[in-house]
Amino acid sequence: MSRGGRHAYAAISVLAAGALVLTGCSKGGSDKGNDNNKDKENAQRQQQSIKFGNAADSTGPAAEVPGAKSGGTMEVLQRDSYAHLDPGQIYVSDEGSLATLLHRGLTGYKATSDDGSKHEIVGDLATDSGTTTDGGKTWKYTLKDGIKFENGTAITSKDVRHTFERMFAPFINQGPPYIQQWLADTPGADYRKLLKDGPYKGKHLPDTILQTPDDKTIVFKFKTSHPDLPYALAMAGYAIVSEKGDTKTKYDRAPVTTGPYKIQSFKSGKSMVLVKNTNWDPKTDPIRHQYVDKFNITFNQQYETSTKTLLADTGADQAGISFNNQVDAGNLSKVLADPKMKSRTVSGFQPYVGQMNINMSHPALKDKKIREAIAYALPITPFVRAYGGTDAMQVAGGLISPTVSGYDASFDPHGKIKKPAGDPVKAKALLKEAGKVGMKLTFGYINTPEGQQYSTAMAAGLQKAGFNVQRQEIPAETYYDQVSKLDNNYDIFHTAWGADWPSSSTVIPPLYDGRAIADGAQNYSQVNDPKVNADIDRINKITDPVKAAAEWEKVDQYLVKDVVNVVPTGYYKQTQIAGSKVGGLVYDDVIGGVDPRRLFVK
Amino acid sequence: MLRFLVRRTLGAAVILFLLSIVAFLLFFGMPRDPGLLMCGKTCTPANLANIHHVLGLDKSIPEQYWIFLHNLVLGSNGFDQGPCPAPCFGYSYHTNEQVWGTLMDRLPTTVSLTLGAAVCFLFVGLGTGMLSAWKRGTLVDKTVTAGAMVLSSMQIYFLGPLALAALVYQSHLFDKPAYNDFTADPVSWFTGLIIPWVILSTIFASQYTRMARSSMIEQLQEEHVRTARAKGMSRRYVFFRYAWRGSLIPIVTIFGIDLGALLGGAIITEYTFGLPGLGKLAVESVNFSDLPLLLGVMLFSAAMILLFNIIVDACYAFIDPRVRLS
Repeated sequence: MSRGGRHAYAAISVLAAGALVLTGCSKGGSDKGNDNNKDKENAQRQQQSIKFGNAADSTGPAAEVPGAKSGGTMEVLQRDSYAHLDPGQIYVSDEGSLATLLHRGLTGYKATSDDGSKHEIVGDLATDSGTTTDGGKTWKYTLKDGIKFENGTAITSKDVRHTFERMFAPFINQGPPYIQQWLADTPGADYRKLLKDGPYKGKHLPDTILQTPDDKTIVFKFKTSHPDLPYALAMAGYAIVSEKGDTKTKYDRAPVTTGPYKIQSFKSGKSMVLVKNTNWDPKTDPIRHQYVDKFNITFNQQYETSTKTLLADTGADQAGISFNNQVDAGNLSKVLADPKMKSRTVSGFQPYVGQMNINMSHPALKDKKIREAIAYALPITPFVRAYGGTDAMQVAGGLISPTVSGYDASFDPHGKIKKPAGDPVKAKALLKEAGKVGMKLTFGYINTPEGQQYSTAMAAGLQKAGFNVQRQEIPAETYYDQVSKLDNNYDIFHTAWGADWPSSSTVIPPLYDGRAIADGAQNYSQVNDPKVNADIDRINKITDPVKAAAEWEKVDQYLVKDVVNVVPTGYYKQTQIAGSKVGGLVYDDVIGGVDPRRLFVK
Repeated sequence: MLRFLVRRTLGAAVILFLLSIVAFLLFFGMPRDPGLLMCGKTCTPANLANIHHVLGLDKSIPEQYWIFLHNLVLGSNGFDQGPCPAPCFGYSYHTNEQVWGTLMDRLPTTVSLTLGAAVCFLFVGLGTGMLSAWKRGTLVDKTVTAGAMVLSSMQIYFLGPLALAALVYQSHLFDKPAYNDFTADPVSWFTGLIIPWVILSTIFASQYTRMARSSMIEQLQEEHVRTARAKGMSRRYVFFRYAWRGSLIPIVTIFGIDLGALLGGAIITEYTFGLPGLGKLAVESVNFSDLPLLLGVMLFSAAMILLFNIIVDACYAFIDPRVRLS
């Protein structure tokens, strides 16, 4: 699951989605110690590995939410309208949250605790999370009985085949590419050559790749092992699309849903109304509930507006919530300091990790001592402060987020957690050893209020260590275009990245594989380390997710400590608030926000 | 009059044509690729090329412009999303919706906001301006002038949140601003827009107050007004019969431009109050580098301004007989 489209969009949405667009500082409240403990708890719970469930785990209905009752209308205040409703086009988290109510895939994340902290991957439309007998090359799924689209037609393997085949069509270009690449056994966008018009001109994927021998069975056949398939299938982008109801590009405005709700009306940029899908059978669904009668979604509600509206807690907004808006930074400390208000909030980590990239293509930065000097000197406090303080950001030690399996809270090679203001003395000593005191360092920063704020203070910190820092402003709209160019003149620049599922396989390879260095690609620091490249190939073949997570964490530590191509800065957090009549309010670690599926009106 | 209208309409069409060329060139001059926004997280050059192809961005700029112009005038059946009758701005890159449909969908919000605010600021602005001119030099005049000065220096992004905090979130006296369809629920339509109307008109009214005052004072010093007074006509009669009518010309000119600009989208007001109108749409189109939407909003806004300019020019003839004679 990802909050961003590609780079620019990814980061802009990261920044926009967090409490991050807004300035202000925030100190928790009187119970700061408790909050810190809670952060640790959150981190611990979020790094737990996710089990792949069997048929028993995948049987519906989902366990009742304590105290839940049916009925009522819930007001949902959203900042941004939904650009895509076609599952194949869904990648960002706003639409991903909505998709939990509308769409179902072969697999899904089932919460196994009432606090949204524990999950397992189970069969959603399929009877289990998938079976493989050859280490992840061949995966078999069987559809459940009684599963239907909102129009009452049964969901069959033909629809599943159609879903995956249409992902190759040219007009599907915003969803996840993973399974298409695995089926075609090729990286990048070359997978489209396998079925360049999708299924629309009579061609289909051959049986050697995708088999649907009967109405219930689907077999994926990959040339290489892909043990992460159950994770990937749980992405909203791979939810099932009706073959008969497929209207191609128009499907993006009016999809045929499979989840507990269907769209009664959608006025793009204005409002959306969801009502119960009467053809959804809870007995087939181990993940979702259908407590609320109707969701009234209103767009154009800025974070400040939604926060103030929900804090006011009057009228219909008492049963109000936002799936994605956060408590705005200006109100965050006030909300968290007041126990009454705080009781209506939920908080947790987002999957995003901020990192200062050191441009490895620049000759002056090839000296590891200089990179280490940057790592020690860089103050993280200004970054945390710029985004709303410790309630919105936690100082990062490594590149693996607390939301991802394998996260190691104790990893802090440059002492950033202990000394978030930086260690200019140690940095200066390293710089002296390298004979580069006073060396010029070009710092490209994003021209947002936060970017202006943190870059000034970070530059001052580096300056203190003996660097001659030249700040260069980059417009926010083109920021990621500029920094992802191979031939850019920035020595250091900040980026953020989030995992698509709770495994580092969606973090380390795209960001640090030296063979993927290209204009516009995401290896921003242009690191090309033979050991990292070899490790990526090796770990990608490990089928045990727990073992793989431990191995990815070793790569993370090698990069941060030994290669020093990046300096981790922060783990993004968020706090969301609801009206007093909202029940089932839980921060779901996988969704990275409020879980819409558990909500009810008190 | 007919010749005048035809001449001005043709002139407006030329301006719109030139504007569309400028907008097109400026869009492609931006250091930003709209394809990148849709390219997914793990974007590759091949994937980007596919997106460019789907959006038609792989064609040359003149070719793209020609297609745009052709579709605008004649419509098109060549879109994957469906037919697009003239005036066809194409389909939004971001939402896949027909741009003309989106414009028409957002227009009622902007029209409601504009007309309501225009009634407020005209009524208040002209009223206080004339009162000030009538009571020139008195405490009333000084108070109105000072008040107008203070209010004209205010900004919507300051007054708006302040009004929301005081009137909605704390005292709960008013509904949260929202656009509700007039035909479905006129009461909600009114209560949802009253704060945006008042705030928007506060800024505008102060300008109209100052303009009405100075224009009226100028008229009162005209020879024909003095002559009328010398002939024994009452001050009130001269004020409303002669001076008021003459003072309207500059006000009508500015009003026409303001109305056209507001109908093109009151960007800050719509953004501040979360109203889904054309102004908000303009911001969205820029944020998403959405060329069809950007061109649609820009040309529609420009057309509004030009239309109201023509209407204003036509109105002169009715307000001032000298214009008609010339």
